[in-house]
Amino acid sequence: MNCESSRRLLPLYFDGELDPADSRAFEAHLDGCAACRQALAELEALRARLRDPAMRYAAPAALRGRLAAAMPAARPRARAWAALAASWLAAALLGAGAAGLWHDRQQGLRAQAGLTRDLFASHWRALAAASPVDVVSSDRHTVKPWFAGKVAESPPVRDFAAQGFPLAGGRIDYVGSARVPVLVYRHGGHLIDVFVLAAPPAGLPRQARMQGYGLRVLALDHAAAAVVSDMDEAELDRFARLLAQGGEPPPSR
Amino acid sequence: MDLAARRTLVGELAMRQLDAAYNLARWLLGNDADAGDAVHDAFVRALQSAHTYAGGNGKAWWLTIVRHCCFARLKEHGRGRRFVAIDQLAAELGEAAAQRVLPNTAADEPEQNAAAAQERARLHRQLRGLPEEYREVLVLREIEELSYREIAQMLSIPIGTVMSRLSRGREKLLQALGANGDRP
Repeated sequence: MNCESSRRLLPLYFDGELDPADSRAFEAHLDGCAACRQALAELEALRARLRDPAMRYAAPAALRGRLAAAMPAARPRARAWAALAASWLAAALLGAGAAGLWHDRQQGLRAQAGLTRDLFASHWRALAAASPVDVVSSDRHTVKPWFAGKVAESPPVRDFAAQGFPLAGGRIDYVGSARVPVLVYRHGGHLIDVFVLAAPPAGLPRQARMQGYGLRVLALDHAAAAVVSDMDEAELDRFARLLAQGGEPPPSR
Repeated sequence: MDLAARRTLVGELAMRQLDAAYNLARWLLGNDADAGDAVHDAFVRALQSAHTYAGGNGKAWWLTIVRHCCFARLKEHGRGRRFVAIDQLAAELGEAAAQRVLPNTAADEPEQNAAAAQERARLHRQLRGLPEEYREVLVLREIEELSYREIAQMLSIPIGTVMSRLSRGREKLLQALGANGDRP
């Protein structure tokens, strides 16, 4: 990769919009190019300053109160306000978690951030591809054998169509340098990627959020799974619970 | 999901992302009163069109509505004299005005704090002074952390245009800050 083409990729890399292969190629160039490192450092410095909390206007309390009063009362219940407060608290905690993640990354935990980014990038690349699945099937008896011979171990495949998450198919993708099976589910207009990992990778956060996409990491049979989707938090959690409770899959062959 | 439940969902989503909405509106409109009104308009409109929310990426959906309401407001004000007036005022008053809108952090080193505040004010002024098309993508990407795809959908422009505006905007900011002898 020469400097000219790398300059074109630099903002994409910086914004986490490059796929893992291109990211690695870019990083290889970065190692040997002081000018590109300098350009990247400038972007990072600018971002740090723009993300200073002082640059972000917070909604005035009066506005918040005005809108809260205009909130539709769907099911008037005594605890509606408590639930709402709890959901705000949860949102705040999630926000703090995400901020913490960002902070961690800043602190130099690049390996962890790299792995998380790989998972998100892989999902995004699949979304951008002509087809997000290599084997299209809603039948787990088709999907599971397809993996055999392509990866070391065929993952357990379950369908959650009854719960609103039909199986869409599967593909093989890269996480770090490992080839891993990915099960693809649908939920309404959303695509859900389940990366089946041999073991919970050290340092991977249990959950993360990036640019509107969520990540959940959970134990799955004898393996671990990383779920990536743009569903909202509640749906993502519901799906993660389903997956975790899936338990031992029925014999699939 | 029935409409009432959907409206509640949308209302909660809007409240969760109220700071994001206000921040976008404030950067687009340039003053508190109009930003607050635009967000209020957007809230009402979001509840009215709750049936169009298909779930999923709520933040981008909600911010799209906020953005529309901001532009409706700008249009409504014709030449936008109110906004221009206040922005010009801020520009004339310079850093003093910009500092006023910026919250102060806990002060233990007053001098250092003043320098940091001054630096923030400078960046603030530069971003405010950028043409709207650059300012908008910078706020959405850098402050609200939306992806290229989300921004492209919000603005109904190709991803390539998002990338070029973002690059150009960053370049302009870096240049402006560098020209002020501001770069480390």
